Amino acid sequence: MTTTTTEHMPRATGRRSGRKGGFARSRNADRLTRAIVIVVTVLALVYILLPVYWMVKSSFQTNADIRALPPHWYPHEFTIQAYLDMTYVIPIWRYILNSIYVAAAAAILSTLIGCSAAYVLARFRFPGMTLCLVAILATQLIPPITRAFPLYSAIQSAGLLNSYTGIIIAYAGFSLPFCVMLLRGYFMNNCPPDLEEAALVDGCSYFSAFWRIILPISLPGLAAVTIFTFLNAWNDFLWASLLLNQGDMKTVQVGIGDFSGEGGNVRYISMFMAACVTATIPALIMFLFVQRWLVSGLTAGSVK
Amino acid sequence: MAHISLRQVTKKYGRFVAVPDLSLEVAEGEFLILVGPSGCGKSTLLRMLAGLESVTHGEIAIGGEVVNDQMPRQRDIAMVFQSYALYPHMTVAQNMGFSLKLDRCSKAEIEERVAAAAEILALTPLLDRKPAQLSGGQRQRVAMGRAIVRDPKVFLFDEPLSNLDAKLRVQMRAEIKSLHYRLKTTIVYVTHDQVEAMTMADRIVVMNAGNIEQVGTPLELYDRPMNRFVAEFLGSPSMNMLPGEITGAAGALSLRLADGSSIALPGRDLGLAPGDRVTMGVRPEHMTIGDTGGMGLDIVVDVTEPTGSDTLLIGRAADCAITCELDGRPDVRMGETARVTIDPAHLHFFDEDSGRRIGAAG
Repeated sequence: MTTTTTEHMPRATGRRSGRKGGFARSRNADRLTRAIVIVVTVLALVYILLPVYWMVKSSFQTNADIRALPPHWYPHEFTIQAYLDMTYVIPIWRYILNSIYVAAAAAILSTLIGCSAAYVLARFRFPGMTLCLVAILATQLIPPITRAFPLYSAIQSAGLLNSYTGIIIAYAGFSLPFCVMLLRGYFMNNCPPDLEEAALVDGCSYFSAFWRIILPISLPGLAAVTIFTFLNAWNDFLWASLLLNQGDMKTVQVGIGDFSGEGGNVRYISMFMAACVTATIPALIMFLFVQRWLVSGLTAGSVK
Repeated sequence: MAHISLRQVTKKYGRFVAVPDLSLEVAEGEFLILVGPSGCGKSTLLRMLAGLESVTHGEIAIGGEVVNDQMPRQRDIAMVFQSYALYPHMTVAQNMGFSLKLDRCSKAEIEERVAAAAEILALTPLLDRKPAQLSGGQRQRVAMGRAIVRDPKVFLFDEPLSNLDAKLRVQMRAEIKSLHYRLKTTIVYVTHDQVEAMTMADRIVVMNAGNIEQVGTPLELYDRPMNRFVAEFLGSPSMNMLPGEITGAAGALSLRLADGSSIALPGRDLGLAPGDRVTMGVRPEHMTIGDTGGMGLDIVVDVTEPTGSDTLLIGRAADCAITCELDGRPDVRMGETARVTIDPAHLHFFDEDSGRRIGAAG
C-alpha cells in the first residue's frame, strides 16, 4: 500500500514536498551519498596511514632501496636484516622495557589515585568541593610547556631527576585531571548509590564497598583511564627528554630521538625505521587488548 | 526479632526539616508500614533506621540499644531497596551469600544458608545466574533472599514492589506476608501504595510532611480516620468529601451544601451543632443507587467504569467530585442525574478549618 501511494505521489507539487530527507531519498541519490562517504573515508585513511606505511615499508628495505629516486612505493629488495641488526646500534629492547615500566607504573598510580579522588567527588558533598572540581579542570587550560621549568625545578629539588620515580610521578600527575573527571562521570552515571548502600547494610565499610562492589563494576572506566595514561606516557618525548635522559634509563621515544639526533636516521635509516616499528608494537598490543573496554568506558559516561 | 524505638527523631538538610520531632514504637515481630505521599519523609525515616542517613536530633534504638552512631553493618538489619540493588558482577548465590562472607562464615555454612533461603523463595534453579539474566520478579526475590539469608533483627523494605507489574505485585505482596508469618521478624516497610499498606500491615503509620498523621491497624485507620488527610489517603477510590454548614436543631440536623441543597443527617448524637462548618466524608462503597427514602444525593454522572464485579460511578454533586462504588452493573448513563442513598451508619465529619475528625460520628 505504501509503495503504491509513493508511486502516485504528484511530483509537480514542488521539490521540497516530495523530499523525505536524510538517506531515505531516491536510489541514485543514495548511491551517490554512499560513494562520497566511501571516497572521503578512504582519502582520510590514506592520509593517516601513509606515514605508518612508509615507516613499515622502509624497515623491510635496504638503505639503498630506501634512498632510490624516484622513491619505491614497495620494497624492491625485501629484507628483515634491519630488525636483526638494529640492536647493534640502538639498545631498543632496553628502551622499550624502560618505557613499559614507566608507562605501566604511571598508569597504575594515576588510576589508583584517580579512582579514589573521583569516587569521593562523585559521592560525597563537602565544603570546597566545587573549588576542587574547578581547580582540576583549570589544570587542563595551562599549556604543558609553561609547566616545564617549575616541574623540572621541583623534580630536581626532590632529587628525582634522572630517576624512574620522578618521571612516573610527573606522568601520573599529568593524567590525573582527565582520570578524575572521566571516572567521576562514570561513577555518577553507571554506579547507582543503592549498590554501595546495599553493601553497607550487608556489612561493608565505605572502603570495602568501594573496593568490592564499585571497582569491579567500573572496569570499563578504569580500563579507559589506564590505557589513556599508558599511551600518554608511552608517546611522550618532551618530559622524558627533560627529566630522564641518562644512558640506559632513557624511554624508547627519547632513545630513538637521540639516535636520530646522532645521525642514525641517515646512516642507518632502515634500522632506524625498524626501531620505530618495534616501538609501536607494545602500545598497539595494549590498545588492541583493552580496545573494547576503552570504547565502552569513554562512551558510558556520556549517555546513560 | 527486635523492638524499635524512635524518640523525638529530627532530620534536617540544612534549613529544610524533613522529619520534625517524630516518636514511634515498633513492637517485636510487628509488620509496620510507613505510608504517605512522595516527599513525606517515610524513606528518610527508613534510611535513618538503616544508618544510611544521620539523625540530626533524637534517638533511635533497636533491641534496646541506641544505634545513632552505629554503621549500618553494626545494627544487624537487612534492607530491600526499591531498585533491588543487586551486585551485577555476582551470581544470585554470591549476592545472597555476600553478607555471610563478610561475617566470615564458613563456605559450607554460606552454601547451606543460601540454599535454605533459595528454597523458601523458589530461587534454587537460578543460583548460578547473574542479575541481568533475571526477570523483575526474580530480581525482587533475590533482593529478599539477600535479606533473609542473614536472619537479622529487623527487615527494612523501601518500596520493594513499585517496579513490578500489577499482577506480580499482588503475588509478591502475598509472598512477603507469608514470609513474615514464617520468620516473625520485625519489619518496617515503606510504600506510597495504600493498597499494599492495607493488605500487609499489622499497623500502619500515615505520614505527611514529615509528621505522623495517624498510627493504627489498617481497619482502624480505614473506619476511623482521625483527620481529613488520612481519610482521603486511605481507600481506593478515596473518600468523598462534601463541605457544608450544619443547620436545623438538635436531633434534626441537616448539612447545607455549597449549592444550597441540604442532606438530612441521622438523629443520633454526631457531636455537631447548628452553625458548624464541616466536611462530611462518605466512602464510595457506602453509597447505593436509587432513592430508598434515607439520606440521599443527586449526582450528575460524568463517567461509569464497570470493573466486572462492580461499577464505579463518577460524577458531581454540589460542586464536589463524587465516586460511588456500586454492586453489579446498574443501568446508569453518562450525563444522567442519578439519585444515590448514603448509608447513615458510615458517616465521617471533619472540622472545616483544622481537618480533624469531629466527635463520635461513624
